[in-house]
Amino acid sequence: MTVTAKPRDPLAEHGGERTGVVAKVLVRQETTLVLVVLAVGLFAWSRSSLFLSPDNLTAILRNSVIYFVMACGAALLVIGGGLDFSAGAVFTLGALSTCALLVEGVPWPLAVLAGMAACCAVGAVNFVVVTSLHVPPIIATLGTFYVLTGVDNLVTGGSDVLPLPAGFQRIAQGSVLGVPNDVLIAVAVGVLFWFLLERTRFGVNVRALGGNRQAAVANGLRVFRLDLALYVIAAATAGLAGIVYSAQVGAGQVTAGGTSTTLNAITAVLIGGVSLMGGMGGVQGVAVGAVLLSLIDNALVLTNIPPQYNSIVIGAILVCAVAVDHLRRARIYRKR
Amino acid sequence: MGAPALRLRGVRKWFGSVSALEDVHFDAHAGEVHAIVGDNGAGKSTTIKIVAGVHRADEGEVLVNGGEPRHVRSAADAQEHGIAVVHQDLALVECLDIAHNMALGTLPRKFGFVLDRRRMEREAAKVLRDLKVRVGDVRTPVGLLSGGQRQVVAVARAVRMDKPIMLLDEPTAALGVQETAQVGEIIDELRASGKAVVLVSHDLDFVFSHADRVTVLRLGRTVGTRLVADVGREEVVGLITGAIAPDQVHDGEVA
Ligand SMILES: Nc1ncnc2c1ncn2[C@@H]1O[C@H](COP(=O)(O)OP(=O)(O)OP(=O)(O)O)[C@@H](O)[C@H]1O
Ligand SMILES: [Mg+2]
Repeated sequence: MTVTAKPRDPLAEHGGERTGVVAKVLVRQETTLVLVVLAVGLFAWSRSSLFLSPDNLTAILRNSVIYFVMACGAALLVIGGGLDFSAGAVFTLGALSTCALLVEGVPWPLAVLAGMAACCAVGAVNFVVVTSLHVPPIIATLGTFYVLTGVDNLVTGGSDVLPLPAGFQRIAQGSVLGVPNDVLIAVAVGVLFWFLLERTRFGVNVRALGGNRQAAVANGLRVFRLDLALYVIAAATAGLAGIVYSAQVGAGQVTAGGTSTTLNAITAVLIGGVSLMGGMGGVQGVAVGAVLLSLIDNALVLTNIPPQYNSIVIGAILVCAVAVDHLRRARIYRKR
Repeated sequence: MGAPALRLRGVRKWFGSVSALEDVHFDAHAGEVHAIVGDNGAGKSTTIKIVAGVHRADEGEVLVNGGEPRHVRSAADAQEHGIAVVHQDLALVECLDIAHNMALGTLPRKFGFVLDRRRMEREAAKVLRDLKVRVGDVRTPVGLLSGGQRQVVAVARAVRMDKPIMLLDEPTAALGVQETAQVGEIIDELRASGKAVVLVSHDLDFVFSHADRVTVLRLGRTVGTRLVADVGREEVVGLITGAIAPDQVHDGEVA
């Protein structure tokens, strides 16, 4: 699902000239990341012949769709200097509200739109709490996470929402020319976000906002509008991921989202080379990050390694990724 | 002399309980360089930021071209009123390249929504060439530039906006001798092209060689405005330090 056009991360094109080969590799975090993906793949392949089977590779890709769709919105927000910890609960909200409408007989396109709208509303609430009440993003969205998790559970009484119409399930389970629909959705989302970030004024303004908020204000950018858009977009992709997940599994599950979902989205973003400091990173890296998460899930299952190791491996990779990000910043940007 | 391009009257500003500006007033005219000098913390940058739309005055008036008092709510409003600014902290985004920084806020587009990168880079390169400054390729991230180069980029950005009123807050603070002279030339050209230039500087030599008038701020107040041709350094320094008593003028027409 990686986008093919030439990346335009300014660092990527200029850091290397000054700082040599090492930095050149560090600078393109995707390069390092692809190597890690290959290493994990090789490891899994050496331990299990099933790994390279088309079915298994498709499964890895379809699993990564959920991570990637969420991570796209989350990445844009982080690049713009924000952070969203409510994503896991918004994921569940999107899934449950859409499924509840479907069970009532609402046509699926309407139900999907309504579910997304509910999520966007939560994004707007995040924006208001962060900007008007001056609560730091991490706290504000964590608050939203807990409140929303409670609401998700209260409304459903803790049971799954079933059965879902076939038309809706086809969103994720069908395929076009052999490519699963959910993968196509991820590609579409990826292309859209890449375009937004790399080819539009909005994308540049988002980078400016995340890179130096004061400078963005001084240059006349409408920072509140940008903030609002970013929080709403992050919530929209979290909701969309929840909806696609429901279509994959054929049920609206109360347990679908949650803390681990939030953390997975943020992990994919950070592993993908988006800097928590804002301004830097792109969709390509996030795509590889999402595939890596899914790949690790898969490899550990195939090689009969206990699932506890999953979080150990991901934790280690996350710390390395952020350390590398810091390194490349330090190497490439002068201190003023 | 016609209506001033920029007129401040009784401008006051508090930050919480801190009073940053008590009473700032001055008139800046088109085709003139109006210097603002004063000690650290005198309120020069706060004054600039109010005119630039970054802060809002609590009291007083800011008038552009003799018009109604402006109600600027944002830097974008200020731009619409014909004001371009070089901020003391430069307001550059380190992770974006020179071309992006120079166009920030007014990025060129094609087909209505696609960023026109070619045009942006071409314009940036042209402005830098016209100013005869060398900062390297316009695709260089600003984070890689030296302090002086950044300052040059910030000045170039303001020049590119081509507004009738230019506010320069310490545009030469980080510059070497040669670059300072270059910025001096740029300022002379801006004046010659009829712009009203407001220049904040600690460098009195620079002020005396490029400004037409000088307003001295002290502790958030205008203590006097002089024609540079009529005033000596000692008097300006005296006003800055408080050794010379402030002018007793309140109705406006000073100097
Ligand atoms: N955002 C702010 N919040 C609180 N106080 C501020 C703020 N900005 C400025 N001040 C205060 O206002 C006063 C004037 O500051 P200002 O930056 O305008 O001074 P200045 O004349 O530009 O000084 P310098 O020569 O050091 O640049 C100072 O006492 C400063 O502490
Ligand atoms: Mg200042």
